[in-house]
Amino acid sequence: MEKTNWFLELYPTTKLFVTLFMVVSAFLVEGYWYAYLMLPVCLIIAYFTETSKELWSLVMKGLLPICLFIFLFQIFFHPGETVWWTWHTLSITQEGIDFSLILTSRIVAVGSAIILFFRVTPVKDFVYALEKLGLSPKATYVVLATFNIIPEMHKLSLAIMDAQKTRGVETEGNLLVRAKAFLPTLAPLILTSIAHTEERAITLEARAFTVPVKKTSLYQLKKTKKDTGVRALILILLIIIVVWRFVL
Amino acid sequence: MKRGLKHDFTLVAILLIPIGVAVNVVIGQLVQILKIPLYLDVIGTMITAMVAGPWVGAVVGLANNLILSIFQPTILPFALVSIAIGLTVGYLSKKKMLTNIGRTIVTGIIITLIAVVMSSFISVFLYGGATGTSSDTITALLLASGQEIWTAVFTKNIIVESIDKIVSILIAYFIVRSMSDRYLSKLNYGSPYIKKK
Repeated sequence: MEKTNWFLELYPTTKLFVTLFMVVSAFLVEGYWYAYLMLPVCLIIAYFTETSKELWSLVMKGLLPICLFIFLFQIFFHPGETVWWTWHTLSITQEGIDFSLILTSRIVAVGSAIILFFRVTPVKDFVYALEKLGLSPKATYVVLATFNIIPEMHKLSLAIMDAQKTRGVETEGNLLVRAKAFLPTLAPLILTSIAHTEERAITLEARAFTVPVKKTSLYQLKKTKKDTGVRALILILLIIIVVWRFVL
Repeated sequence: MKRGLKHDFTLVAILLIPIGVAVNVVIGQLVQILKIPLYLDVIGTMITAMVAGPWVGAVVGLANNLILSIFQPTILPFALVSIAIGLTVGYLSKKKMLTNIGRTIVTGIIITLIAVVMSSFISVFLYGGATGTSSDTITALLLASGQEIWTAVFTKNIIVESIDKIVSILIAYFIVRSMSDRYLSKLNYGSPYIKKK
């Protein structure tokens, strides 16, 4: 069991370095095979950190459609000499295929690396590490509060919609009927949420939120020897790639 | 009241940022529940920009796309469009361009133009014209009918963005108009919307 948590236990910025390494190296190494290889690499890491299901579904939802459309557009539009197939104004060229392969491989590499990073790093840990690096505690508050408010507001919106239904506002039917249900739900939702900010302001002020002093945190994260090791390994790999790409 | 980058981030304005982002996200979900064929996903950015100024609006736009890109990384470059919308709405609100419906529609048209130009450039340069949403089928149809990629992407964006952005700014206008005077008076840019007696 110890091995499964090995990656998760790394310090957030170490995980960020791993992600950045994948992104940068995908642009440094020529051709599209290496960049495409980042997806299986992410999947393997995700498998050992038990996040592969989420990763896969986000890749399918977020990256697959855009890649498919890029292929569709570039294959028919990109100018090229080597024509494989023509029909009316459409023609498939080798150049179009090459271009779309390079473009999509990079999108897949960058996309899956970012998705992986946020599957293995809780946002709380990430902003904690950023705060240690000098990010304002106000920015930390904004990020964490947003994550708390979204589900809260979603619940509130459903409650308001139910309340409006009881009053006789139709939420089903043709487009005009549904559109008419939109504003009666939206206005109370936003106005209530905004009214809550006044109470939040008082609460935060009572805890010295705006006082310009150094803030302490109950939440602690520590760097270990593993972090130093992983960082050194990434640096060595990056140097190897740069030397191999530009010197040799 | 002092205005500008240093003075705009008051405590009330900072507390509005998460609300603005959450409004964007929740409206996105609401639009799907009610099956409305628009995105309407910048209303929160517009409202905060209107009452808290261009800089807070820009931060809401940036935060919005950063948070969404945790789940959909391809959205990240479009943060530039969100930031521009926040800045423009905030600036026009300061110039009293959102005080009646007529002016609000003009503002909506200006925002549409900015959004169309910026998102077309990003989409063509980074993704070869694709965005990964269902509206790409319009681009595909235009390309299949023999259009150039630029014409296809611009036309698609004008079709998709114009109604969306004008409806969004109108909704933002109505919501700001129904805010209480007491609350508006606490905000740096709330004064044009206070009902005068």
